[in-house]
Order: sequence, then C-alpha cells, then structure tokens
Amino acid sequence: MELEELQSAWAQMSTELEQQKKLTNDIIMKMTQEKYRNKFNTLTNYESIGAIFCYAVAIMLLWNFEKLDTWYLQTCGIVSLMFLTILPTLVLRWLFKIRRLDIIKGSFRDNLLNYTKAKNNLLRLQQLAIGIGFVMMFLIVPVSSKILSEKDIFQADFKMSNWIGIILALLFMIIFCNWGYRGYKKVTGSAESILKDLQ
Amino acid sequence: MPKEDVFTDLIREHQGLLYKVTSIYAHNRQDQEDLFQEVVYQIWKYFDSFRNESKITTWMYRVAMNTAINHLKRKTRRPDVIPITEAIIKQTETKDELYEERLRLLYKHLQHLNTLDKGLIFLLLEGKSYKEIAQITGLGDSNVGTRISRIKKKLKTNMINS
Repeated sequence: MELEELQSAWAQMSTELEQQKKLTNDIIMKMTQEKYRNKFNTLTNYESIGAIFCYAVAIMLLWNFEKLDTWYLQTCGIVSLMFLTILPTLVLRWLFKIRRLDIIKGSFRDNLLNYTKAKNNLLRLQQLAIGIGFVMMFLIVPVSSKILSEKDIFQADFKMSNWIGIILALLFMIIFCNWGYRGYKKVTGSAESILKDLQ
Repeated sequence: MPKEDVFTDLIREHQGLLYKVTSIYAHNRQDQEDLFQEVVYQIWKYFDSFRNESKITTWMYRVAMNTAINHLKRKTRRPDVIPITEAIIKQTETKDELYEERLRLLYKHLQHLNTLDKGLIFLLLEGKSYKEIAQITGLGDSNVGTRISRIKKKLKTNMINS
C-alpha cells in the first residue's frame, strides 16, 4: 500500500463522514452539559461516601446518647454530633451547587466566574474541615470510648500504651492535616489567580 | 444569532473533523466517544476565546488535537472493547471491502506512530499545507517539513515490511 492509497482511503472516509451528520443541536448541548457534570462524579462519590459514614456515626452516637452520663461527655457528644452532620451537609451542598451550574446559559467568562467562586467556597470549607477534624479527634475519642467500651477516659488511669497510641494518632493527624491543607491551598491559589485575571 | 446556536452549528458542520481526530487518538469505541465529548466540551469552554485571527477550523484542529493528546496522557485504564479500526468502519457504514481493508491498513500504520507524528500525518492526510500544519501544531514551517518527510519514510518502510 502506497502513501497515495492511504490518502485516497482517507479522502473517501472524509466524504462519507461529510454525508452523514448525525449530531443534532440538542445532542450537542446535552453532551456538553453532561461532560461538565461528569467532571465532578469522582469527587461527589468520595464526598458522598464520607458523608454517609459521618451520618452513620452520628446516628449511632444519637442512639447511644444516654450512655454519656456526665456533663463533659455530653458536651463532647453534642459538639461531635454537630460536626458530623453540619460539615458533610455543607460540603455536599456546595458540590451540588457547582454541578448544577448551567454552563449553557451566559458567557464562558460568567460561567468561569461563578464556577471559581463556588469552588473557592468549597475549598475554604474543606480547609476548615481539616482543622475541625483535628479538634474532633479529641472529642470523638472519649465519646466512642464511653459508648463502645463503657470507659470514661477522663477518669481512667492511663497506661504507657495509651499515651503511645495518642501520640501516634496526633502525629498522624498533624502530617495528614498538613498535607491536606497544603493541597487545598495550592488548588485554591490557582482558582484565585483565575478570578483575579477575570476581574 | 445566539452563541449556543453558533456553537451547535459549528459542531454539526465539522463533526467529521472531530470524528477523525478522535479516531486516530482513541484506542477503542468507548474511548473515542468519551474523547469526542471531551473535545466538544473543550470547544465550548474556549469558544469565547476564539479571536478570528485564524480560520475557525484551524482553531478547532488545535483544540481537538491538544485535548486528544492530554486525554491520551491522562488515560491509564483503557476498557477493552472494540478496536478502533472496527469502530471507524461501523461509523462510515460502508459495504466496500477494498475500502474497508485500506482503512484498516491505514489505521494499523497510524497506530505505530508516536503522538506528534500521528498528529502531523493526520493533518497531511486532511490536505493541510505545511504552513497550516505549523499554525495548528505550533511547530516551525521547516520543522514540519523535515518531520513529515521523516514520517513518510518511516511509513513507507512499515508498508514494505508488512
């Protein structure tokens, strides 16, 4: 087969493709909007799984709330409940807001502006969630210890192994929070520079 | 005319162009459909940035090829569905066996080229001049010429050996 034959086969294919234009305006616009929404599927799936987990823990906590028999355990329980329900709800709300943006209406500049603002709000919220996660560790440990093993860790004698466990958990949280925070800061930074360019 | 209508008319008018770009860079039909949608989305995304400094088709080739190359880089998992040669033949709905065979061979030879070479030979098959190819790819005119003659030699050797 010579190069000229390749060219003639290609030309024949081009002519055939020219003759059969299957796409309609409706399909094109649906395809475009769908592609935009699909870009958030992975993120939405992860956040939804996270939210379901948080809600399940909140239900379990609520179910066993009477086991928290002192004022400080009850306070830890209430604050944990608030974190476990409010934060995932807010994150999911912002995610759905970004997904719902109608990219077909308005100019690309307006769309990008709205999208970047929504995304920035989501990222700030997630930065806050990282900080709160750090505090949550100190609240959820006494609550879960009381609910799962009937132990009030505020009054229990601490063994060396308990201290080692707490130190290791703290170290993990510091490393994880630092990594997460830097990651979010980087993404927020790039989103903000797009905003500045547009404004 | 509303922007939406201009955009859809443009895609409808040049869907063959987009189809051909996606066919040379995708590995199977599912991948091609995904890439086609991504290209349409990217054209919509950058539609406002088209400044009429070049022909609209030149700009479309550029967006489509950049999207395809990025898609190729990102793609790590490829579902094993229909080989592209079969997909393209189905799309063109032809019954001509000789033509089918030629297309199969054409895609077989194209698959052996690297990403840039594939893009250059695609534009040559599209009947673009070296100047237009240079405009689309961002390469220099002479660089395009040198590369294309090298690819032609490579293709010829492959054709003789196969």
